[in-house]
Amino acid sequence: MPALSSTMTEGKIVEWLKQPGEKVGRGESVLVVESDKADMDVESFQDGYLAAVLMPAGSIAPVGETIGLIVEKEEEIAEVQAKAPAPRDDSDRPSSPPSSSAEPSVKQEVKPEPQRNKSSEVAAPVAAKTNLTPQAAPRVVNDGRIVATPRAKKLASQIGVDLKTVLGTGPHGRIQAEDVQRANGQPITVPWIAEGDTPSSLISSRPSIDTPASKAFSSPKDLTGKSFGSPGETVPFNTLQQAVNRNMEASLAVPCFHVGYTISTDKFDNFYKQVKPNGVTMTALLAKAVGLTLARHPQVNAACNADSMLYPAEVNVAVAVAMEDGGLITPVLKNADSTDLFSLSSQWADLVKRSRSKQLQPDEYSTGTFTLSNLGMFGVDRFDAILPPGTGAILAVAASQANVVASQDGSISIKRQMQVNLTADHRVIYGADGASFLKDLANLIETNPENLGS
Amino acid sequence: MLIDFEKVVSIGASASSRRAFLFEPKDLVHFETAWEWQREWQKYLLEEAIASPAVWLLQHQNCYTLGRGASELNLLFNSKEPPHDLYRIDRGGEVTYHLPGQLVVYLVLDLRNYQLDLDWYLRQLEQVLIDVLEALGLQGEQIPGLTGLWLDGRKVAAIGIGCRRWVTQHGLALNVNCELKGFDQIIPCGLRGERIACLNQWIQGLTVDDVQPIMRKCLGNRFNLEWISEDFH
Repeated sequence: MPALSSTMTEGKIVEWLKQPGEKVGRGESVLVVESDKADMDVESFQDGYLAAVLMPAGSIAPVGETIGLIVEKEEEIAEVQAKAPAPRDDSDRPSSPPSSSAEPSVKQEVKPEPQRNKSSEVAAPVAAKTNLTPQAAPRVVNDGRIVATPRAKKLASQIGVDLKTVLGTGPHGRIQAEDVQRANGQPITVPWIAEGDTPSSLISSRPSIDTPASKAFSSPKDLTGKSFGSPGETVPFNTLQQAVNRNMEASLAVPCFHVGYTISTDKFDNFYKQVKPNGVTMTALLAKAVGLTLARHPQVNAACNADSMLYPAEVNVAVAVAMEDGGLITPVLKNADSTDLFSLSSQWADLVKRSRSKQLQPDEYSTGTFTLSNLGMFGVDRFDAILPPGTGAILAVAASQANVVASQDGSISIKRQMQVNLTADHRVIYGADGASFLKDLANLIETNPENLGS
Repeated sequence: MLIDFEKVVSIGASASSRRAFLFEPKDLVHFETAWEWQREWQKYLLEEAIASPAVWLLQHQNCYTLGRGASELNLLFNSKEPPHDLYRIDRGGEVTYHLPGQLVVYLVLDLRNYQLDLDWYLRQLEQVLIDVLEALGLQGEQIPGLTGLWLDGRKVAAIGIGCRRWVTQHGLALNVNCELKGFDQIIPCGLRGERIACLNQWIQGLTVDDVQPIMRKCLGNRFNLEWISEDFH
């Protein structure tokens, strides 16, 4: 990955103009790299053949990373591709760094790593291989020069690990902080996602769920005291955190108000129990309920700019998901009003899986017309959310809890209830709009949850 | 205070400045035509057939352009039936909109004569815009992490460039007195909720004709260019 500027730490591969096996002439453009608003055609310095593409279009690679291999002679293509599966040590020669074949490695390389401050951990092919069997290589002695990230060095000195014994899994075998942890016998934290698929109302009885994506979640009791840095440390925001910060700051300029509602969920919970065996998730259920209600309340699905109110053509429900390495992302369930529960559930599982590996396309996280934020799995009884820019409203969903409820006829009963709290841009959504939306949503959830299945 | 170009050219510039061709077509230019001009000039520079950079100051007919990696989801219309011409072009960035009343600046420069640093170049383009606004008594703002120029929190200029062997093309577009309506059809630069504005919202009656000479001067100062522009003045 070439450096397009002195401050550039990583670049995005927009497009490969040549395919593996194709001939490239000196000075011919091989690929296009993008950094910010600037595109650069990257050219070959020599005549030859593109033997392998190590980073596919759309991926982000740190500056200096090997992204593809060019060989001089056509015969060498097969050789490079054949050698590829076995990691090699002679990485000094630029034409033959350790490599894996383009096809399988591409998928393995894209790890759920932070985008910028740990960008070097977007694994080189070697990393992809070794990561698959971290336990199989417990003690590796590095002779000669040791290459480690500053964080890894610091961590190693803090916990007393000799870097010579650490197997580096970063680009060209660079030692990462997590390699040090692994060498020290510490468990590597599995990426977790704080919000998403956990049933908001059934956390106590069903702490685990069985979608494929659920393996990404650790149980809430593991989530104590999450921190991005150690005491005394200053940790720069990563790209995603910066992006979230910008959005949050932008929303300060929006005149927001909040309106809350307490919704009884006994029927809803029962309905969930019925459909759960079919693979329906709570997120899908909530998104569907919100989507159906939004379709009847276009004002709450609207956004605005300085001059106009904008009514989207679709009801796209974004659901906030916290990322393990900081920041959050809002994968979008498109047409949540008209898509069936089962499709929504499988789409959600797929979106969560791909958010973890940072493989979402912009339209998959930036086209929400309304956002849902669910902290129910933590048992919070209420919270409010910050409005994502470009939309009119976000709904904060808290846990469902058993409450003693006095009915209008004077009888007293125990009902499960959850509080929801709408944050809305008052320029486009007025108090009455928000209130009537919530009333309708409550009515759907309280009395007709089975309509969600139709 | 406007510059007299004939004078500048005839005086000849200091040793440190570089002679550059300046083209200022009077009529609206078709996007494809201007694109072709730039690519041709880029080729000249790459082949070292010519050493002088070229700059165009012009206005386009209504059209939308998408950067090479841009998402079509920032188009709020069907890309098969766009309300105006739609081009996917070899620059960075997301969708933008060109139209009369917007001053477009294209620069084909060899950055090897400046700094081999695209970030530096983008920031210089922003500085040019700040200089232009300052000359108009306005205070433009950069937003770290977002390329372009803002005025009172509203975006007034977009920037997008493409580069081959450090020879640039494309450039910037400054909204002076254009209709803002067509911007509703896209999510400009992929930034949702971003408010687009025109300079004439701050200075009533301002037109491209007023801004163009200032732009010319500020570009010359910032990139140390001495204009070869015999055709136009």
